[in-house]
Amino acid sequence: MSQIELRDVAIEYKKPKSEERFVAVQGVNLSIEKGSFVTIVGSSGCGKSTLLLSMAGLIPKARGSIRVDGREVTGPGPDRAMVFQDASLLPWRSVHGNVRFGLELQRWTRDDMNERAARFTRMVGLGSFSDYHPHQLSGGMRQRVNIARALAVDPDVLLMDEPFGALDAQTREVMGDELLRIWERDKKTAIFVTHAIDEAIFLGDRVVVMGKNPGHIREVIEIDLPRPRTNAMLDSETFIEYRKRLRDYFASDMQSMQMVRDVA
Amino acid sequence: MIGVWRRHQALISGVTSFAIILAAWQLAVDFGLVKAFFVSSPALVTTQFIKQLHSGEVLTNLSVSLYEFAWGLGLAVVVGGACGIFASWSRTFEAVLEPFIWFKYSSPTIAFYPIFVAWLGLGEPTIIAISFIFAITPVYANTLSGIKNADPDLIRAARSFGARRHDLFLKVALPGSVPILVAGLRLAVGRALTGVVAAELFGATAGLGFAISFYGQKLKTNEMMVSLMLVVILGIIFNQLLSLLESATDSWRTGPGRAE
Amino acid sequence: MAVTTQIEPRQVPSLGALINRHYSLVVSTISVLVFLALWQISADQGWINARYTSTPSAVARAALVIFRTDNFFYHAWVSLSEFGIGFALALVVSVPLGLVLGTSRSIRLFVEPPLMAMYTAPRLALLPILIVWLGIGMASKVAIVFLGAIFPIIVNTIAGVRDADPRLIQAARAFGATRLDIFTKILIPGCLPAILMGIRLGIGRGLLSVIVGEMFVSEAGIGYQIMTYGQGMQIDKLLVYAFVVSIFGYSLTLAVKLMEDHIRSWRPAS
Repeated sequence: MSQIELRDVAIEYKKPKSEERFVAVQGVNLSIEKGSFVTIVGSSGCGKSTLLLSMAGLIPKARGSIRVDGREVTGPGPDRAMVFQDASLLPWRSVHGNVRFGLELQRWTRDDMNERAARFTRMVGLGSFSDYHPHQLSGGMRQRVNIARALAVDPDVLLMDEPFGALDAQTREVMGDELLRIWERDKKTAIFVTHAIDEAIFLGDRVVVMGKNPGHIREVIEIDLPRPRTNAMLDSETFIEYRKRLRDYFASDMQSMQMVRDVA
Repeated sequence: MIGVWRRHQALISGVTSFAIILAAWQLAVDFGLVKAFFVSSPALVTTQFIKQLHSGEVLTNLSVSLYEFAWGLGLAVVVGGACGIFASWSRTFEAVLEPFIWFKYSSPTIAFYPIFVAWLGLGEPTIIAISFIFAITPVYANTLSGIKNADPDLIRAARSFGARRHDLFLKVALPGSVPILVAGLRLAVGRALTGVVAAELFGATAGLGFAISFYGQKLKTNEMMVSLMLVVILGIIFNQLLSLLESATDSWRTGPGRAE
Repeated sequence: MAVTTQIEPRQVPSLGALINRHYSLVVSTISVLVFLALWQISADQGWINARYTSTPSAVARAALVIFRTDNFFYHAWVSLSEFGIGFALALVVSVPLGLVLGTSRSIRLFVEPPLMAMYTAPRLALLPILIVWLGIGMASKVAIVFLGAIFPIIVNTIAGVRDADPRLIQAARAFGATRLDIFTKILIPGCLPAILMGIRLGIGRGLLSVIVGEMFVSEAGIGYQIMTYGQGMQIDKLLVYAFVVSIFGYSLTLAVKLMEDHIRSWRPAS
């Protein structure tokens, strides 16, 4: 049995001030093996972030089941850690204090907390910035702290919601390489949501393509590229092939958006 | 020279403008533009000040007013803070208090002064009570607002690590609300001082407000000015102290991301 | 294409649902009613001394008496005029002053320290000296209202000007706007919400000032009545006047708040 099992998952939102419900995601079935890096890609509004949030246990699902290591997900837990697009660092704490934050909430012992916080701060390359505060860091550095914080609690699953979305293109690339480097060490199960096609292919073992209206899985593409990934692979034929497939999906999304506008 | 100016701009301009005002004041009186009877003058006030200092009057008035101020402010902070915290936890509690806060906000507290006197007598308890009521609103309002308006991104991140309600409160909402709390404290300090002085104007036997009223009624402008100046100076000192506290607690404000 | 929304049949909200949605309002109303009831009951039962606190029923009766016989409108008119004149003067002086100070950095550098000193100092302490200068009639109250209202308005106007969006100014300049144009077309409309907020705060202070002033020394006015009744232990009548002031103050600040919110809604979230 795979580590993460989603069966027939549907998620709905209640519209404010009315009794109507909006279906964000429907009929999702997905199995994720332990130690794999899965990327979820789709255009805006396809529910990919929503799906991730429900895996994290932060929003409830309307139907279906989400199981991690055989246990049903009913809320946040120490087995899953989330990395948001917004670094969400406590501005009054230093880098060290922020990396410690998750450990504190999960009640690790004092010595362990300090040791782990220091270790993961170094792992993301911020060892000499341990006493800096968030307002003194760049966007990329803040995201590294965000990642270190998530890794420090030793989760079984790492959930990442467009963590590089707010960064500029070059920083994004560097961070992608960094992320893989860090991931290679422990090979934790990772689920990475993005709307950037290249990023999805470059990072993942598998790419889950989502469509919208309502959110659903269109296809799961196995990425047949060796690890560790290198930037040279971006120009390989295989990569270009994958990219084309994904772009075709997005093109049809754009067209359907056009249709809605004509009709409306 | 320019460096000195830049660094201490505020201080230099502040001192200069006060010096100019004092000089203009003195000159206006000396040249007969205004009568000393009405406005006194820096020279006369200083003389009076020294006189009152020697007689112990300054010390008595200061200590009485400061004592009442400390109590009024202290009670306001403790009660206002506790209510604010409680109201942030319980929507019911907040809704119960809200109409009274609104009423307090729009009614002139001083109007109820005679009632306080009837309950607590003329003197310190009434003055402390008025000061307390003046000061409690910003403390309560800012505590409540600071906690309720905790950064939702931080709350969400904390929840993703399994934070429970008291974790969210102690580790995210409360520390994050410190700047707003300090801003509220700043307002409260000003209000507490105003409350003390205003209440003393009406019924007291000692204190700065009492002295102002006492000498004012006797048309002794010089004597009155001493206490008035002391009140103003106290206000400035407190304000500056709180300004310092504000910058000290605000150093971690996250601005837009700095360049790499 | 799949359906995006599933509409469930509309149901008439039950009482429970209604209470849920307006929970705060309901609890607040109940709280006030409970308070009034407790007040009345504890006075009737002798738990508290009604001489000092009066009761809701006594206050209501006193209100009728006052509105009919007490020269109420005369006193109200006195207070209202003192407040109105003082506030109008404050507006006329403080808005332009605030605008000038907000735009000119050099002037602000020298004027701000004494300004902030006056803002934070208890202006009520000036009451005795104002009485010395202006006597016990209306003039001294107008003065204290003026002093009470100008500082919030000036300080908030300055803040409003400093918050002006530099991008809008830049765009205007690109179209060849003169300094006057920028002043009237961008700055003033832009800092209107801040000015209104200053006005709102000024109203509160101004009202407080006029009442305190009248309570301290005067020949007429609502504050004068409050003090008279207070000293004569006619708490029920005192409370009527106090409530009148509260309601007036509340309505006025509410009106300004609505204007403020309306204007703020035009602006994009900054």
